[in-house]
Amino acid sequence: MPRMPKRVKFRKQMRGNMKTRANRGNYVAFGDYGLQALEPHWVSARQIEAGRIAAQHFLRREGKVVIRIFPDKPISKKPLETRMGKGKADVDYWAARVKPGTILYEISGVPEEIAKRALSRIARKMPVRCRFVGKRLSV
Amino acid sequence: MGTETPNITVETREKTGSRYSDRLRRAGRLPAVIYGKGQDPIHVSVDEHEMLEALHQGAHVVDISVDGKGSDKCLVKDLQFGWLGDNLIHLDMTRVDLNEIVTINLPVTLAGTAKLASAAGAVLEVIRREIEVTCKVSDIPGEIKYDITDMDEVLTIGDLPLPDGVTPVLELDKHICHVTLVHQEEAEGEETDVNADDAQPEVITKAKEEEDASEEG
Repeated sequence: MPRMPKRVKFRKQMRGNMKTRANRGNYVAFGDYGLQALEPHWVSARQIEAGRIAAQHFLRREGKVVIRIFPDKPISKKPLETRMGKGKADVDYWAARVKPGTILYEISGVPEEIAKRALSRIARKMPVRCRFVGKRLSV
Repeated sequence: MGTETPNITVETREKTGSRYSDRLRRAGRLPAVIYGKGQDPIHVSVDEHEMLEALHQGAHVVDISVDGKGSDKCLVKDLQFGWLGDNLIHLDMTRVDLNEIVTINLPVTLAGTAKLASAAGAVLEVIRREIEVTCKVSDIPGEIKYDITDMDEVLTIGDLPLPDGVTPVLELDKHICHVTLVHQEEAEGEETDVNADDAQPEVITKAKEEEDASEEG
């Protein structure tokens, strides 16, 4: 089942913009390796789920996959062959706002080579260009 | 100290600000600031390669010589990264005494493969790759190594062989890593509800409006 919030304050939202870079959720926090988005985009709940399934089928219950984004934005879409007007359309799907730099998924418990291959499978399901990253230096 | 203290020579920065800092970075130097011990903070630049090498070797304390004069022991306090998180852009250092007690993050290196985690469906979940400890500057260990081959289901902070004088900040029963079973349904994950797309979340404001309407009525 695609993810979505359990309770919301308002049924529909304005579109907003994603002109800035991610300044939170932009480093590997829970796993050993991560997949970082390099472009802004809405990532739908179905795409997030497809990525999770792709990684878990590949890992065969070996490692742990952490999803760092949540689809909390309702995206509305007018039905086909509908005239303009008559108010805002119904919600079509839920999406996560992804800014450049956001960590999308993290993987732990597997060697780097396996993590790279699993994350590249996820990257193919994503609507954005992604790259493989490791943990940051810390003091 | 666990590792040898690297000697690093820094140069004072006459001009500060983002434009001059960018020029320094392009020239292979990192802008940094040194403060502490009741002295005035000084803006310096440090060789990027030299500093990164020291940090990758796990150095927390460095011997800093400003413009080749004298030498101060400095603790690397904070690192700032670029927006994609892969390039170091600035660092904070604080002057310390060898007997001063400081709080630092120590990396925990887990060696070997846990026997329990090799069972089908079992995964070794590492909760903490580093732990926060307090110790004297002279007692800072390089890293903490632990062989997890014969570990039980859970490895806690209390199980780690910490050197004398090194005290963890967190409680001793906090987990470093544990062996868990991956849930069957999570691993399969293909069975989706047919009506799942029609499901909609509860709207909080709508419920309130209805309550108000019923009260008025």
